[in-house]
Amino acid sequence: MTDHQPQDESPTATGPVISCSDLRRRFGEGGAAVDALAGVSLEFPKGELTAIVGPSGSGKSTLLHILAGLDRPTDGSVWIDGIEITALDDRELTDLRRDKLGFVFQFFNLVPVLTAEENLVLPVKIAGRRPDPVRVDGLLETVGMTDRRTHRPSELSGGQQQRVSIARALVTRPAVVFADEPTGNLDSKSGADVLGLLRQAVDEFEQTVVMVTHDPRIASYADRVIVLVDGVVTHDGRVQSADEVHALMQIE
Amino acid sequence: MFALTVRGVVARKTRGFLTALAVFFGVAMIAGTLMLTDSVNNSFDDIFSESNSAVDVSIKTRETIEDSRGALPPAFDAAVLESVRAVDGVAEAAGSIFDPTVSVLDEQGQRVGLTGPPHFAVGAVPDRFSPFNYIEGRPPETADEMAIDNFTAERESWTVGDTARVAGTGTAKTYVISGVARWGSGVELLGASLAILTLPEAQRLTGKQEKFDEVVVAAEEGVAPEELKLAVQRAIPTSLEALTGEENAAEESQEFKGGFGIISNSLLAFGLIALFVGGFIIFNTFSITVAQRTREFGMLRTLGAHRRQILGTVLLEAAIVGLVASALGILGGIGFVAGIIALFQSFGLDIPSSGLVISPRTVSIALLVGVLVTIAASLAPARRATRVTPLEALREPGGSHRPSRRRTTVAVVLLVLAVLAIAWGMFGTDSVGSAFIFLGPGILLLFLGVALLSGRLVGPLSGLIGWPLERLGGVPGQLARENTQRNKSRTATTAAALMIGLALVVFVATFASALNKSATEALDRQFSSDLILSNSDQFTRIPTQTAEAVRGIEGVAFVSPVAHGNARVQGVSGTQAVSGLNPESVVSAFNLDWREGSDATLAELGDTGAIIEADWGKDNSVAVGDVILLTTPTGRDASYTVRGSVRDKPGLLLSTFAVSRDSLLRNFGVDGDSYTLVGFIESANPDEVEARIDDELAAAFPTVESRSRAELEADNRQQLNQILVLIYALLALSILIAIFGVVNTLILTIHERTREIGMLRAIGTSKRQVRRMIRYESVITAMIGAIIGAGVGLALAIVSVQALSSEGLVLSIPYPLIVTLLLLAAVAGVAAAIAPARRASKTNIIEALLYE
Ligand SMILES: Nc1ncnc2c1ncn2[C@@H]1O[C@H](COP(=O)(O)OP(=O)(O)O)[C@@H](O)[C@H]1O
Ligand SMILES: [Mg+2]
Repeated sequence: MTDHQPQDESPTATGPVISCSDLRRRFGEGGAAVDALAGVSLEFPKGELTAIVGPSGSGKSTLLHILAGLDRPTDGSVWIDGIEITALDDRELTDLRRDKLGFVFQFFNLVPVLTAEENLVLPVKIAGRRPDPVRVDGLLETVGMTDRRTHRPSELSGGQQQRVSIARALVTRPAVVFADEPTGNLDSKSGADVLGLLRQAVDEFEQTVVMVTHDPRIASYADRVIVLVDGVVTHDGRVQSADEVHALMQIE
Repeated sequence: MFALTVRGVVARKTRGFLTALAVFFGVAMIAGTLMLTDSVNNSFDDIFSESNSAVDVSIKTRETIEDSRGALPPAFDAAVLESVRAVDGVAEAAGSIFDPTVSVLDEQGQRVGLTGPPHFAVGAVPDRFSPFNYIEGRPPETADEMAIDNFTAERESWTVGDTARVAGTGTAKTYVISGVARWGSGVELLGASLAILTLPEAQRLTGKQEKFDEVVVAAEEGVAPEELKLAVQRAIPTSLEALTGEENAAEESQEFKGGFGIISNSLLAFGLIALFVGGFIIFNTFSITVAQRTREFGMLRTLGAHRRQILGTVLLEAAIVGLVASALGILGGIGFVAGIIALFQSFGLDIPSSGLVISPRTVSIALLVGVLVTIAASLAPARRATRVTPLEALREPGGSHRPSRRRTTVAVVLLVLAVLAIAWGMFGTDSVGSAFIFLGPGILLLFLGVALLSGRLVGPLSGLIGWPLERLGGVPGQLARENTQRNKSRTATTAAALMIGLALVVFVATFASALNKSATEALDRQFSSDLILSNSDQFTRIPTQTAEAVRGIEGVAFVSPVAHGNARVQGVSGTQAVSGLNPESVVSAFNLDWREGSDATLAELGDTGAIIEADWGKDNSVAVGDVILLTTPTGRDASYTVRGSVRDKPGLLLSTFAVSRDSLLRNFGVDGDSYTLVGFIESANPDEVEARIDDELAAAFPTVESRSRAELEADNRQQLNQILVLIYALLALSILIAIFGVVNTLILTIHERTREIGMLRAIGTSKRQVRRMIRYESVITAMIGAIIGAGVGLALAIVSVQALSSEGLVLSIPYPLIVTLLLLAAVAGVAAAIAPARRASKTNIIEALLYE
């Protein structure tokens, strides 16, 4: 990445990029109903790497989906950049995702029939714009995929695929990048590379990143760790080490 | 997004290819038919404008009523020629004969080309008018010479100096071939033979002494044909019509084009059926690929793609596949033309094609139809793709697919509409044209409805078919059965494509079998004669003198000639075919089913009496005692009083009404009998009598052939079978498309189940077992299609036969054929599974388990 994100122009530069209040999400009905989120209120300031951790089934993915406007809460609201996204219709949400959000998932991030570079520029193309070649080259350089740009996903390792995904998440200069278990499917070396890239985006370009993980070691690299247990936040703050994260997750 | 779509098509080559195949065949049939029609029409235009090139004005009898037996309007008095010559501006005028009722015979005395195309006797005209170019020899100069067209000469290996026999209304004669001639630019006239005789000899042979079929006129220099035409018309009776050479060429060409129009319309119909079947395959392929790409669409939605964009990418993919397939289809059309020409040639019908014409119209229609069908068929899957939510990108795909309730509702609505349309087409309307307008779409709706509903039948049917397979094949058999039930709508749609082809085959076969049975029953019931005499081409009239000649033969008890002529009847729409009976002998030859009157009624028929067919009378409000007013093809008005009514459902003897043969021959300008019935004396040896009759026919009436009732029935059957073979051949293409559809579905589902197949292999399933599983799956799907298809086809046939029972149709179900078809469907299932099964058995266990 060779250029800087123009931050001063953002009208909400001072307030949180994302906030949510009293989020609730219930799946199913009656006796079989599950409360995946039972009242979550959070604020995410600009330029921070936040990790959401917690045991399996604690509601991490659900929270991330709702924050990103992929799913709707049963109750509560979400604001991104001052817009209440929980009040938007499908068309407006689509535009919001396209223009303001970036995504990295555990699997199936890339379109199998497109090359690495084509996958990278996909969000720009979908928006009907021309990708800026300088920026594309810069991103490929940053994620170390310059010499693999014409490869198809099936010709790339899991770690390489995930690096393309991160570059793609960054290509539109989104307000927030959401990542759900971005390292979950990778060996520890590749996982560390991917994490390094996210860290770099936050440190160098003040990118806001919200990442879900169940790995305490990964979480310990975050600026802030939110521990979720049974749909409730049990810890929210800075951590020093992986052991500390591990301990926080064990408490319940 | 465009690049993504194009990449997708390129990357999914196999499925793209198989999808394209579904469109390809239909487009090829349609494009081919259009090319063929254009080429044929061009050839006819060329032939006739060339043969009329020296003709400025042509005079013929004005055609008021079309003749059902292909005969031209009656010849006119030769004296007209003198009046024409006297007209100012006429440089030269000549009379000519062009008569399609003769038979050119080969060395064995057999009609050349047998029952095929017509043979013409042509009277030679002065050089300047002659449409012929002599390749060998010269025109006939004496009454013992003839020239022959080059195609017949080639087929029969005749050259100048050989002899050939030609039979006609006058006594048959053997001629020395004086020349071999090419008509115009030398394109075949649907395989017709032309015997060129001197004018007087042509008049004699065709029984047109002192008569002409046409007078051709050349204008003096500086006289415009248009002017001359008007002048000539003033000089001739109004029963004759003068046309300019150009008008005449267009009219003659139009007549032949009309004949070919029936063929090209039927071919187009089969092309549309093939496209309709192809539509099912496309729908299914796109449904499956959309389901498999759920995650991809979800991801695109996550990245901010709008629903419209998703719709666009699927439809664009369809458009690309449709476009490529249609473009190839146009090339395939060239092959189809060659195939059709060969097929018709094997039936003795030569289609003239002086050069393949690929007009812009053909190209645009073919592309448009192909692309539209592909897009229309992929519309529903594309809409489903837009309903994929971003979250679905993150979930494991799968889950059960039960036919939705909405699908069932739509199916029921379609079926109700189909039944209404079919019922209205069969019972609600009289005209054949409007019946087809309702029947065609009705049957399409029926297929759609059954296809949608058949998801419900997949469970029970696959259980039924799968049971023996499970017994036979153990676990693979069981898995195969379960697999076909996994996504019932998918299996149903795949089977439905096959269902359509089979339904149509079963329908046609059952209907034909009903036609055969009722014709045979009617013959047995109504004919009480031993022999039937008719033209060996089974079409043209036979000389009226035949009856007289045969009556004198030893052992013959009675001879009853039957003639037919057309008339326009006051108060009845359309041309009516009127029968002319011999009142004395017809009761011996025929068992008349009297409603009103009796055999005695015939005696008082006289010149002005008629008997009506009971149902025709009812439909047209004509009753005994009424007077029928009519106009005959000669332009004469006549009236007949109805004396009685008989029932003749299949119309063997009379389909409208009958008058005495003498009266018909006199009033209708008819100069031959359609057929003549002959009965033997009881004590005579039938074989001997028949041999004597055949000898007499061969000597004096070579165009006439005698057949016993059994031979007649066999010939009818054979004729019907010829048409059936043609229909089956054309439907086979639709069935082929459906089989490719099975292949396609198998390949797609195997791809989807890579992991599962890998797991089966990992736990010890052998390659053979995997192959068997896929094979059984294919057989079950094909059999489901065949069983439903046979059911639908039978139901349609039963209803149609019922609807036509008033016409004497009796149901007869061809069980052996249906069983054979079901077995063939199973074989087709095995064949369809060969490639997919091999692919499945090659699944790499490790890769499959690591997949994704
Ligand atoms: N679509 C769904 N339908 C029903 N239950 C769901 C659905 N998604 C998640 N859940 C339930 O909500 C809870 C939280 O799930 P999730 O957010 O995926 O947990 P995590 O990501 O922390 O493992 C779990 O009990 C899960 O079973
Ligand atoms: Mg999760």
